[in-house]
Amino acid sequence: MRQLAAALLAVVLLSLCALAVGRSPVELLRILTLGSVGSRFAIEGTLLKSIPLLLTGLSVALAFRAGVWNIGGEGQFITGAIAALIASHLGVVPAILASMLAGAVWASIATLMRLWRNAPEVLTTILLNFTAIHLLGWCVNGPLQERSAQYPQSDLAGASLPVAGELHAGIVIALAASVASWFLLYRTAAGLRLRATGLNARAAAWAGINVNAQLVRAMAISGAFAGLAGGIELLGTTHRLFERFAAGYGYSGIAVALLAQLHPLATVASAMFFGALATGAGELQRTAGISSSIAVFGQAVIILLLILFGSWRSRD
Amino acid sequence: MIDVILHALPIAIIASTPLLLAVEGELVVQRAGMINLGIEGMMLVAAMTGVIGQQLTRSAAAGFVAGIAGAMVVAALFGVFAIRYRADQIVTGTAVNLLAAGATGFVYQALRGGALFFVPPMPEQVQRLVVLLAWLVVPAALGLLLWMSRFGLRLRAAGENPEVLAHVARYRWCALAIEALLAGTGGAFLSLALSSGFAENMTAGRGFIALSIVIFGRWNVRGAIIGTALFGIAAALQYTLQAMNIGLPYHLLLALPYVVTLLILCGIAGRVRAPEALGR
Repeated sequence: MRQLAAALLAVVLLSLCALAVGRSPVELLRILTLGSVGSRFAIEGTLLKSIPLLLTGLSVALAFRAGVWNIGGEGQFITGAIAALIASHLGVVPAILASMLAGAVWASIATLMRLWRNAPEVLTTILLNFTAIHLLGWCVNGPLQERSAQYPQSDLAGASLPVAGELHAGIVIALAASVASWFLLYRTAAGLRLRATGLNARAAAWAGINVNAQLVRAMAISGAFAGLAGGIELLGTTHRLFERFAAGYGYSGIAVALLAQLHPLATVASAMFFGALATGAGELQRTAGISSSIAVFGQAVIILLLILFGSWRSRD
Repeated sequence: MIDVILHALPIAIIASTPLLLAVEGELVVQRAGMINLGIEGMMLVAAMTGVIGQQLTRSAAAGFVAGIAGAMVVAALFGVFAIRYRADQIVTGTAVNLLAAGATGFVYQALRGGALFFVPPMPEQVQRLVVLLAWLVVPAALGLLLWMSRFGLRLRAAGENPEVLAHVARYRWCALAIEALLAGTGGAFLSLALSSGFAENMTAGRGFIALSIVIFGRWNVRGAIIGTALFGIAAALQYTLQAMNIGLPYHLLLALPYVVTLLILCGIAGRVRAPEALGR
């Protein structure tokens, strides 16, 4: 309930941004609504944006549940997409598997640094994001640049996801991932160990749980989901790589997961809400010249409102 | 190799001045028991308000004041949530960064028509003054303030053992104000001295690099300076390598600072002891 209130209040606050550029908030709300759910085209756009958001949201939810600060969704998203592009010549299934593997490997660099040198993952994952962004820049200007070498982008991927109208099979994969995450966290012993570690690592260790093993698993699974998000975005929506490919999906996953209170099934609704917000903001940029970065602004406002309403406060 | 480094040194000192200011600010905040990831957003907002202040008054000093004011607003926001509401500091910091990126992006788009984002080069003396402040005056002042004064003892107590301190919140707010002062100056220096105006996301992770250097420097001033200097030289080598055209692709050179920071984080040898109450 609290979550719904925060989301609605945030949208109202956002509409006040219109006043800053001399437009009416009502008009902004109208464009935002019509642009995200007002037509068949708009709804398809919203759903398309919700797919990567759902996966990066799950990635964050799983990590945070286990007490692992994986802020590296953006980098894992990118490396997942790069791997998917390379493997796409073997077919769509190998491409998807490669994206998950690459995301997990990229995230596990942070795990290694934490276990080996005690470097905090909250920083290493962020630094790996910046590294991945430049790695992508090198790829699309160098080894993976299109054969005609005209633009900084790759050739079309060798395979793509099955489509139905404007939508692609990624939606099925993302929903399955959501159910699978719920099952893992709440219906298996492995999930209980992850959650116990997240709630209180010291108590978990006393109870005989190998805390380091939970860190390794949580980071790998989380990275695999973010990598999968990148792979699906490539194979289903963009079909090629370019410099601004990630478009903030990794960071947005944090807002998606927090609004869903880190619950894998609630993440579906949360991802659709943020998908609608991003799609509506795109429409604002096109038709009203208002920067689409108000979608990012909205994510921040929602997180802060959730804190105000009592979430994410320390318990002592 | 030595002359390459000597050649890179002056560039390194000037180019890493905003970073050093951020490191010094974050050092104070972490000593008071807070991890402020939002320093990235703080610098980004300061970079923008600094340019706006400079352009409205045509004075570099006013630019710095406006930059500090912008950073103060962001710090206040972080403080309200992290101190007043005791919210998780990493969640709050992340939200603050998203807010800063969104807000500056919005304003950037709204003001794009004007020439607000092309500032004239900063007078040489002002630039030198800020560099001097960052590398000599602030470290000395922080050393005195944090380790030789009653205020500093209490501020550090807020980070080590808040239970024994009567007014933890007061000292944490003071630490945040000091951080805003330093990071705000750094953000304004970035847009006013190191580039000719504001660009979206121009801080490019400097706040996060600063956090890493604070850890590398083991939460003391000397370590902070050595860490920043090491990083600054490594980053300046990037330009030298670029100029020498040794065949390493440009985009991979751009990734160099972040890889260096990752290595710095892994280079924390021996026993590292963080302030006991950090993050609580």
